[in-house]
Amino acid sequence: MDRVKLTIDGREIVAAKGKTVIQAASEAGISIPHYCYHPKLSIAGNCRMCLVEIEKMPRLQIACNTQVGEGLVVKTQSPKVLEARRAVMEFLLVNHPLDCPICDQAGECRLQDYYMQHDLAGSRFDERKEHDRKREIFGPYVVFDGERCIKCTRCVRFLQEVTRTEELTVVNRGDHSTIALFPDQILDNPLSVNVVDICPVGALTDRDFRFKVRVWYLKNTPSVCPGCSTGCNITVGSAQDRLARFKPRINEEVNGHWICDEGRYCFHPLTEVERLTSPLIRQEGGLVPTDWETALRTAFSGLSAAPPPAGLLSGRSTNEEAFLFRRFLKRISSQARLEVFYQERELTEVEKILKSPDRSPNFRGALDMGVGSDGGLELLLQQLVEGRFRSAYVVGEDLPAVRRDGQDIKGALEKLSFLVVQDTHLTATARLAHVVLPATNFAEKEGTYTNRKGRVQRVRAALVPPSGALQDYEIFARLLAGSGEKITCQSSQQVFHQIASEVPRYRGLTYERIGDQGVQVQP
Amino acid sequence: MEKVLLRNIEAKDSHTLAVYESRGGYRALKKALTEMTPEQVIEEVKASGLRGRGGAGFPTGMKWGFVPKDSPKPKYVVCNADESEPGTFKDRLLIEKDPHGIIEGTAIAAYAINSHTAFIYIRGELSFGSKVLKKAIEEATQAGYLGKNILGSGYDLDLILHRGAGAYICGEETGLLSSLEGGRGWPKVKPPFPATHGLFGCPTVVNNVETLAALPWILDQGAARYAAMGTEKSKGTKLFSVSGHIRKPGVYEVEMGYPFKRFLEEDCGGVPGGKKLKGVIPGGASMPVLRADEIDGVRMDYESMQAAGTLLGSGGVIVMDDSTCMVKAAWNIARFFAHESCGQCTPCREGCHWMEKIFSRIERGAGGKEDLDLILSVSGNIMGHTICPFGDAAAMPAAAFIKKYRQEFEEHIAQKSCVVT
Repeated sequence: MDRVKLTIDGREIVAAKGKTVIQAASEAGISIPHYCYHPKLSIAGNCRMCLVEIEKMPRLQIACNTQVGEGLVVKTQSPKVLEARRAVMEFLLVNHPLDCPICDQAGECRLQDYYMQHDLAGSRFDERKEHDRKREIFGPYVVFDGERCIKCTRCVRFLQEVTRTEELTVVNRGDHSTIALFPDQILDNPLSVNVVDICPVGALTDRDFRFKVRVWYLKNTPSVCPGCSTGCNITVGSAQDRLARFKPRINEEVNGHWICDEGRYCFHPLTEVERLTSPLIRQEGGLVPTDWETALRTAFSGLSAAPPPAGLLSGRSTNEEAFLFRRFLKRISSQARLEVFYQERELTEVEKILKSPDRSPNFRGALDMGVGSDGGLELLLQQLVEGRFRSAYVVGEDLPAVRRDGQDIKGALEKLSFLVVQDTHLTATARLAHVVLPATNFAEKEGTYTNRKGRVQRVRAALVPPSGALQDYEIFARLLAGSGEKITCQSSQQVFHQIASEVPRYRGLTYERIGDQGVQVQP
Repeated sequence: MEKVLLRNIEAKDSHTLAVYESRGGYRALKKALTEMTPEQVIEEVKASGLRGRGGAGFPTGMKWGFVPKDSPKPKYVVCNADESEPGTFKDRLLIEKDPHGIIEGTAIAAYAINSHTAFIYIRGELSFGSKVLKKAIEEATQAGYLGKNILGSGYDLDLILHRGAGAYICGEETGLLSSLEGGRGWPKVKPPFPATHGLFGCPTVVNNVETLAALPWILDQGAARYAAMGTEKSKGTKLFSVSGHIRKPGVYEVEMGYPFKRFLEEDCGGVPGGKKLKGVIPGGASMPVLRADEIDGVRMDYESMQAAGTLLGSGGVIVMDDSTCMVKAAWNIARFFAHESCGQCTPCREGCHWMEKIFSRIERGAGGKEDLDLILSVSGNIMGHTICPFGDAAAMPAAAFIKKYRQEFEEHIAQKSCVVT
């Protein structure tokens, strides 16, 4: 690759040919303020915030559209540049409404941030501001405020270049320019809410998140989306022990800068349920609360007395959980058959940009841990309906609800001698169980998911589980201990240690090595 | 001085092919196609010293030379007939009275850069001019001066007339190209430049009507004769559109370097009604105004005007006598630019309207002393920071009026009303 040497603020930088000054600077740790530039979108060059001084050029140049060249001398902090930045800031604030107290963007707003970093001067504008539409609904999840908009066109370019759905455009001229939907269009494509992420100001905001919590109160936890097996990297925002939002986290190997709408909001159905407060066991036809020791003992003896057991693991279970789940059921009976829940669905063209055709984020990891084989789920369920199993252990899936043949499966489950169900809430499946074990959801777990392409990524806990629940891996560990197996499992990390030593593909992996961007394992 | 651009317009039915041919029309095109190579045409135009007449004054032959000869992409010539600079109406005259001169010039330019598709982008408001041009193109095509195998030379050229929809910014060459491509008339970020990445990303030359209209004479009479007129750096002749407080308004063809004061007082008859000259804009509303005491010694060419602190621009001469309120004049111009700003980039989108609002406030008597320096500051913040020269075009007159007539502005502010009328 051709490389060139240039100087930025007196520092000699080496950059690949074809890069722009803003990219080269960023790679060298020098940040040049900008609004309209985005590494994944075409160059617009309209905000003029990234103007820099280039030796031998009479005018300031925009760093986002200036190619690096051998011997180029760039200044990003000269008096001319600082003056230009203040000028651009003042212009941007000319018609900008003083909405900060009511604007969701506050705390993560580029106007605010750059004002503090590069301006701090009062505006001299003393005329009437232009007005525009406030609170215009663009789609089911996106609302637009025309007064806050700085016409950077990131949203328009995203919809032209990434989703290619082109719902938005710029209309009118001069300072009446504004963003609008094309006639008869709604902003409802499967990736629509990414425009909210890329909007540098509060012009496009998330209707789901609106007015919920100030962003500076959010605890931000890096994790992985549990929506499907793509494994988009996310930042989980939580406050007061409740989930507030997902934001996509950059990972060029997985999701780039994006997340789909369904994934973004999947924490709602997955976590907003009435949680079980204690284990339950069946007595005289009804489920009654009990303590963990009783529940686990009953589960163990019940499964042992009615082999072979069918094991049905949720696609949202982690590798650590899958590993221990298999170990336990195989200890109950070598004839135990385990499968991970997996269901294919059709995807639209736009969905295919990101999504995988399933809702099982860790089906691949479960397979790697020995839970199931290709196409085995259908066979297992068929055998279940045929009565080939006498007991079953279902983790994290409400089968009758998610399958078209749900009623058949319900009937089969009812006929079992013994059923253990482990979940976060009392599902229809749980109501059929002999023992119900309260466990955690994805936001309360530490562990790993392996995505469809074989990338191992860390899932991290943003929340503390409710007091009545135990971590899934801990439940399996205790059951294993109760079966006589010598096991030390004080953390999911310890379990992963064992995985790394026993599963060839995962050899040499540690949580540290996996880090925040994940590691690809061999196919 | 020989008439180059206005050589035909006095003739009856000068817009028809028959009259154009009878006066030597299409001789130059024939010469180019049958006796010269494209490279030789470029060299001839370079030798003539012809510079772009739209306002920028860029050497035409040099511009053509930037088109990559070995590019596999189709090449385009676009005649910029979007004449919208306030005070400028020279192209309109040529369009209505000598359309074939424009067609011939466009064809010569197209041949020079190996283009086989050329466009004339005409501002939408010139509906009559469009009709005249359309008819002329039909005549020329029927006579074999356009289309396939022109004059048996083997050279093909399609000439397409495209009407704009009413935007000054579509006279900026890349704004024009965006509009011609079917999009919003937003200028394009440069680099890349139109010569390598223009219309539809292909090498494109955009030339003004007046520039192209000079080509037939240059090729017919020879570059040396053209270069014999004018000054060392500003060769040939230029059209000036004169309007305002002047006895004889109209379009004048003037040899470059002609004394400006003599032009106004003698050729144009001076300021009528016993009034005195107060100020004159020499090159269209975007160029800095000259006070009456500043025009001595100024000559009508690019260098002299620049030395005088203004620019030749499009040659739109707007004359203002001492009955003119300069505050109102400045506001008028500010209103134009605020209205025409495309809105794409921050300084122009917000700054042009801001300046208009301040001028408006001053004009109606609600101005403050600090407003003058504020306009100068805003103007300075726009200059050089925008995607295209529109920002500069809006910023320059605002600053110039205040600098040149500061006292009148201050009095207007103090009195809270016009001090002239």
